[in-house]
Amino acid sequence: MVKKEQTKSFARKFVPRIIKAALLVIITYLPLYFISTFIEPFQGFFPWYMPTTNLFAAVFMIFLVVGVFTSGTVYQYVFGVARALVTMIFFIYVLNGGIVALAVPVGGASANIMVDLRVILAMLVLTCLLMIGKNVVQAIDFVSAKGETKEL
Amino acid sequence: MRYVVRALGWATKIIWILMIFFAATSVYSALNVKMGFGQPQVFPSGGYMIISVPLFVNNTGLYDLSELNMTVAVTDCNESLVPTSTTFVPSIPRGSSIERAHNISISIDDITSQLLDYLFNDSVFNLDLSLKLNFARAIPFQVSTNTTMPWGAPLYNFSIGQISYNLLNLTHQELIVPISFENHSPHFGVDGSMRVEIYNDNGELLGFSVSDLNVPSHSGYDGQVETIVDVSKVTGSGEAHFYFETSAFSFGPLVMPYG
Repeated sequence: MVKKEQTKSFARKFVPRIIKAALLVIITYLPLYFISTFIEPFQGFFPWYMPTTNLFAAVFMIFLVVGVFTSGTVYQYVFGVARALVTMIFFIYVLNGGIVALAVPVGGASANIMVDLRVILAMLVLTCLLMIGKNVVQAIDFVSAKGETKEL
Repeated sequence: MRYVVRALGWATKIIWILMIFFAATSVYSALNVKMGFGQPQVFPSGGYMIISVPLFVNNTGLYDLSELNMTVAVTDCNESLVPTSTTFVPSIPRGSSIERAHNISISIDDITSQLLDYLFNDSVFNLDLSLKLNFARAIPFQVSTNTTMPWGAPLYNFSIGQISYNLLNLTHQELIVPISFENHSPHFGVDGSMRVEIYNDNGELLGFSVSDLNVPSHSGYDGQVETIVDVSKVTGSGEAHFYFETSAFSFGPLVMPYG
């Protein structure tokens, strides 16, 4: 009887989290999939993009799933910070520090293209820093709220 | 604390939305900007040889293009710089297009005095094209390429043949100088005149003559110049000095020994 209750409680606690994690993984993977499909014809120009994106997607999703499973604890925010950091590093790496240089073959000759995306990268880094800040503040709030509850 | 978290959350969301919007519209706009270079053309004009590189930009995107800067550097096979020229367009607003001819002027005198090889030997010019612009006043963009342009010598293989004499009277005779060359230039003909001065071994002028030249592109010239000379001064050998005055270039003297 007790075992049955335990199983029920476990299922009640974890099934919604599994569903939430699965949904978040799908939602996160979709834009990456579409970007990869869009980029595929031009993949020859930036071969470093695909492996990096796959690695990023894997790491990001691991942190996402772990974050969902640890929700209700301070670790949720720790993984949130880790996720934002990974995202920031990914953007810095993929955008080559903001300067993207490509060599495109054009009718026997080669055209060198250089795009300065530092403004975009700065915005992306700012967003990631805001995400980190938000998670840190949330973690502080969580810990202080827990402390207050204990005191009471 | 809750308000701070909420504010940070909203700020993050707003920046993400703005960035995705900007990225999507930028990609859309970039795909709608058509630009390209036409075929370089070369023509003579008032003592200069003009290399004209047509440039067109059609901005049907959502953002303005600004500070368009096109630079063309020409080098020859010896990597010596001929000229570098720049065309600057301050702004190309959205929905507009521009068409500019980027002209590189090379002084013919420079070519003839410093770069004599170009008159008599074929060569290949390297054109380094570089185009910089500012997309949406936020994303600097640069594209550069290099292409080659064949140079055909207008007086390729210029040579004089065996000189012959035609006795006119006891004091004068006609000196006949066969001349041949090929105009390899794909860009201009050799139209104008050629003055020939004949000197003997002692450096004395025997006589001169002026001939008209009309040698179109990719064609040869095979003719002769007749000069009446004083029999007493003829030594059988010496030098012929050639002076060219054409619509494309002026050059001389070209000194060639005979006999």
